[in-house]
This record gives sequence, structure tokens and C-alpha cells, in this order.
Amino acid sequence: MIPISFINPLSDEGKQIVIEDGGDLERIYDENTELIDTIYSIKAQEISDDSLIPKNYSDLVIKRVEWFVKRKGDPEYKHKKYAYLFNRKITKFDTIAFYILCQAIGIKFGPNSRESRAIVELQGYLTENRLEELLTSERREITQQILNNLIVQDRIRWTHLADLISSKKINMQDLVLKDGDVILDFEDFIEFFGDVIKKRQPEKMYNLFIGNRIKELIIIKMIMQKTEDYIKSVHQRANIIEPNPKLLKIADEVSEVLSKEIRHYSSFSGREAVKASPLNYDQFPPCIKKALEGIKSGGRNEVIVLFLTPFLSYSRLNPSVFRSNTTLKVSDADPDLNITRNEILPMIYESANRCNPPLFDDQPQEKININAKLGFGMHDDLSLQHEGETHWYTPMSCDKVKMNMPSLCKPDDICKRLKEINPLFYYIDQMKNKGQ
Amino acid sequence: MLEPATLEERRIYYREEWDITQVPDFIIQSVENREFGFDHFGKGPNDRYKVFNTPEYLKRFLKAKTPYAAYCSVAFYEKPRKRDGWIKSELVFDVDAKDIPVRTCGCDDVCEICLGEAKEIVKGLIDTLKGDLGLKNIHLVYSGRGYHLRFLDENVMEMNSDVRSQILKYVVGADLPRDKYDDDYEIYNLEHFSIPFGYPRVFTQRVKYTIEHLTPDSKLDDVNQKLLKDVLTNRNLLERNQWGLFKTNIGPIRYKKVIKAITSLNMGLVDAKVTIDLKRILRLPSSLHSKVSMRCTEVKNIETFDPFRDAVPDFVWERKG
Ligand SMILES: [Zn+2]
Repeated sequence: MIPISFINPLSDEGKQIVIEDGGDLERIYDENTELIDTIYSIKAQEISDDSLIPKNYSDLVIKRVEWFVKRKGDPEYKHKKYAYLFNRKITKFDTIAFYILCQAIGIKFGPNSRESRAIVELQGYLTENRLEELLTSERREITQQILNNLIVQDRIRWTHLADLISSKKINMQDLVLKDGDVILDFEDFIEFFGDVIKKRQPEKMYNLFIGNRIKELIIIKMIMQKTEDYIKSVHQRANIIEPNPKLLKIADEVSEVLSKEIRHYSSFSGREAVKASPLNYDQFPPCIKKALEGIKSGGRNEVIVLFLTPFLSYSRLNPSVFRSNTTLKVSDADPDLNITRNEILPMIYESANRCNPPLFDDQPQEKININAKLGFGMHDDLSLQHEGETHWYTPMSCDKVKMNMPSLCKPDDICKRLKEINPLFYYIDQMKNKGQ
Repeated sequence: MLEPATLEERRIYYREEWDITQVPDFIIQSVENREFGFDHFGKGPNDRYKVFNTPEYLKRFLKAKTPYAAYCSVAFYEKPRKRDGWIKSELVFDVDAKDIPVRTCGCDDVCEICLGEAKEIVKGLIDTLKGDLGLKNIHLVYSGRGYHLRFLDENVMEMNSDVRSQILKYVVGADLPRDKYDDDYEIYNLEHFSIPFGYPRVFTQRVKYTIEHLTPDSKLDDVNQKLLKDVLTNRNLLERNQWGLFKTNIGPIRYKKVIKAITSLNMGLVDAKVTIDLKRILRLPSSLHSKVSMRCTEVKNIETFDPFRDAVPDFVWERKG
């Protein structure tokens, strides 16, 4: 049996663990022999190097964060070094580490911080990876169990899954919907559709349509949501209670690991390893090449500001954007903005000038708009002090290009092979092939 | 009817017939957060970025300028004058009778028949948007040549264009449903019409509508005259939902061709650009559609609404001849 809190530390079982074992914040930096023994007892774990073994709760918290950043970004990632994180024996310690981590981040940085977003994503990613290592039968059982607990409280509205739909992790057409609720429960399914299913057994239909994959995505999403809620509630309480200095210290350490590692790996992307590197015109998809020639008819603003600007900036600075849910800023990849000023903006401006009429002639304010789409607010100048006032727009999907600017979309064989999802994937694919 | 309104008629309309109380509440309540746009000369809405802090200012403006056309944004902004500080946008579906991919009337513009068909399509969309997606706070507006379906449901108003485009494809049936399903042990082939729930059900309804409205002149990608004729001959089977027989009669490979062609046609049931554009401006309900001399009107009861009775301004009845 998989302990529920191994997958969902926010379950009642997880809360119970904290009440029984984790109350003493003063001891989070003290050596914990029980933890060390447990890790040594895990056969899959690499123990050659002592630094791989967390010695106390603080270490374990940092290891979780380090695992997350490396797993996502480091092409040299070694699973053996973190095997204990995927072994159910760790459950008790891991649950306590989870609460320490959320409390530290909630107190120090609050729910809207980059650190908080990263921790929420970490928890989702960890859950996903833990589920993947289970046996199929265990995996189904624990998913169903957690889901039952979660949906006893309330049914799930599809609108809560908007970000999963937006990022195409869930296809709306794979959801079985009734009055806005996502039908996941067998009883619900039979109640609503039992009568109309005539040719086959309703139970069979349920198993075919409401698959484990959707259920897993939904519990992961709900665990992430609950993690975020928990960080929020910690933050609110922190205004009343004097924060524990040990937690503040951990928060700083976590933040350091995140920013150091993210900066280091933001140019890589694991399986889709593509280094951020100077833009290469020859590898651009047909739509981008066409846009770079300048637009001779209507829709100049959209093409230059909403289509080219995000594409060129992400291709150059953060090509792996869609593999990560952590929001990066332009300055994370280009700290002094030199690349942006000297490589990216000139290319955008040049295409704007090739438009007919040249875009800035009649619409000089679009320069400000370009800065805004790079995340630098509505200002004339590109300045670090304004960064974050607006958000850095992500590259437009092929669907959107087709609908908004159909004249640009002339798919070639490569587009078709890549299923016409996003022009950025074309560029990544071509850059990768070129590198081999 | 359906003739352009003269400048004089526009004046009469706004000064003697129209009043601010005819603008629906869902707009009045958010006047100060919306961008307004006007077309003064019949050349497109060039006068944009207009903001009215109270309904009274909007009223004075319309009575003074008697524009050719008036629009307001589906978006709510903190600073509508700059279209800045986007808060949220209505979710909109625009069904224009002239652009419906299959029309049985064959008219050049819009007529009673295709307006009726637009209404049928809208009813289908509403069923899905309510029944499947559970959306609330819906407003239906007759635009002058079709319908605007506008949702002010807080649960969807903050959604981005990507999600909106997926909603659109779901409700119009613009993707072929998959036909293979597995339960970890075995793979099953299931046709869309044998699945009475979820997206396959919506898809089946839309395909049925489209097939029922095909004419011998309809153009379907990769479907020749002979195949189209066979579809028309056999389509009465669909009235009793005998899809299996329909497919057998057409032939399974040719059936696939037909379904594929209809899938891409379905995308045209709704103007996709309008749905995914968070900053669109739409014709203001109660304003005059001068090109056809009809009133853009909020529809309270879709069953009984008749544009040729309920959306005709008084001045039209006064016209000679
Ligand atoms: Zn017609």
C-alpha cells in the first residue's frame, strides 16, 4: 500500500504526521539519524558521495528544490542521486519537509512570488514523477483513492482546469462534462449517462473514457492548487505571528538554489536540449520568415507586436519556455539586456520598418507596446526597474496564427511533421537537428 | 427593409426612437470600464478608444452624433481609453447569417431563411454551452445580420485566447473525435455516433445539422458530386439517428471523407476571430445597423424572437413604397 501522504502531503494523513512528528521547528537543522538510516536503507540510492545524503530536515528541503531544478533543466541529471525521493519509506520525512518548505516560502515571500510559483510547480512535478514510478495497479489505486477524497469535498469544474487546457496538457474534448462539472466518479457517470448508453456496458464505457491519465492530471492539479492555498494561508498568518528565524533562513537558501540553478539551466531544456544561442534565420519556420519580410496589408501591429516579438525573444532567450511552468523574466536570461537591445529589438524594428506603411511612422506607440510584451511595462525605454509591470508574452500557437493571421501560415513538411502546434517548436527542432 | 438608412433616418432613430434605457443592463453596469467605438461615415469603426464615465454621456453622444454604427468592447479595462489594464472579457460567439458555411437559401446577403438557420445554430451552441460547459449569465443579441452570443460568466471571463479557441472547437465540432479508445488492456474502435455523451455527442449533433442543411450546390473538400448526391439521398436516415446504416450505405471510406470535410466546414459556423479576440468591439445592442436599417437587439426569448418584427425600427414602417 502506498501511503496517501506520499502523493498528497495535504491529506488528513499528512496533517496527522506533522502533528505527531514535526512540531519542533527548532530541530530542523539538527542531525536526524532516523532520516539518514532510512536513506541508506534504500537500495536504488547512490551513496558514494556523502553530500548526496540529506542529514536533517533543512537538507531535505533543499534537496527537494535542487532535484526539481536539475530534473527539469540539467541534461546531466542522475536519478540515482535522488532515488530516496521516490521511495515510500521517505514519506514521513518528506511530508514534514513539504510543510517546512511551504511555511518558509509563505512567510518570507508570500503566495505571488516567483519562489512560491516554483514550489507549487515542484510539488506538481514531484507528484507526477512519483506516480510514474509506481506499478500500474498501485498507480490506479492510489489515484482513485486520492481522487475520491478530493471529490467528496466538491466536484471539479472544468473551468478550474483552464491552465491545463491552455497548455494543452488536457484536451477539452477528452473531458466528459455535465453542467460544467468534470465527470470522474463512476456513480456520477452512471447517473447521468447510464440510460443513454445502449449498445455497450456502461462500466466499459466509463473505463474507456474516464481514463487514469485524466484523473492523474486532475489530482496533480488539485494538489498544486492546495499547495498554493496553503502557502497563502501561511502568509496571512505570518502577519500576526512573529516569524521563526530558522524558517526565514531556509527560505533564503531555497531562493538561492532556485535563482542560481534556473539561471544556469535556463538555456538548456533536458530532453529537448536546446541552448539559448544567437538567432539563426535559416532555421525559422515559414510564417516567421514571412513576417520578417514586413506586412504589406492590414494586421501590422498584431504581427510585429504579438507574433514576432514573443517568438524572437523566446527563441533567443528561453526556447524551453513551454517545458516549464516557472515564469522567467527576460533578465533571467539576459541580465544586462544587451542581447535584447542588440539582437532582438533590432530584428523586430527592422521588420516593422519593412511593413507598408512602416509601422512606427503612423503608430510610434507600438514601440512601447513591444517593450510591454517583453515584460517591461508601458514605457519608452527598456529598463530593469520596470520589469515585471507587464508579463513576457509567450509565442503564439499555430492555431492562433491560423485564425488571426491566416496569410502567414503556409505549412511546409516540417510543420506537418511537428503537427503544427507552435512555430517555436519548429525552430527548436531545426536547431537541434543542426546541432547533431 | 434591409435597405441602408439615410442620414435623416439615423437622426430620427437616435433622437425620436432610441433611448439609453434600451441599452441592456449588462453593458450599462460596466459602461465606465468598456471601450466604445463608432463608425460615423460607413467606412468602419475609425473613432475608437472612446470612454463614457456614465450612461448619460453615452446617451448625449449618440443623440448628438447619430453615428452610422456604434460598438463597445467585450473587454473590461481599468483604463479603457488606452485599452490598458485588461480585467476580463466576455466570451463571445458570433454567428453571421451571411457567413454560415451551409445555407439552404442561396441568397446573396441575408434573408429570412438564413437568419432562421443562424438561430438554429445558436440554439445548438447554447445547449452545449449550458448543458456541457455549465456556463451562466448568457445574453443573446440579434446583430442586424446574425446573432452574438455573449457570456458574462465570471468563471470564463478571465480565460485567455487559447482556452477560448478550445471552447470554440468543442462547441462547433471542429475536430474529428478520436475513434480508438483503450483501457490499458485492449483497444476499442468506437464511432462518434455510438458515444452518447461528451464531445463525440456534440460532434454528432453538429454533423447532423450540417448534413441536413447541405444542398446539391454545397462545396465540400474532397467530396465529389456523386458522393454528395449519395449523402443527400441517404440523409433521411439521420432523422431517426440511423447512423450505422447511413455509414454502410455511403461506404465506410467515403463516410470518413464526408465527415472530415464537414469537420472543417463546422469551424465556419462561428466567426473564430471574434471568439479568440479578447479586445474585440461588438455592435452596441439598441444601436442602429444602418446598412440594413435594423436595430441591434437583445433577444429575450429566442423561441418567439422574429427579427423582421422585433428588430425593425419605426422609421422603416414610415418609408414610402
Ligand atoms: Zn439567405
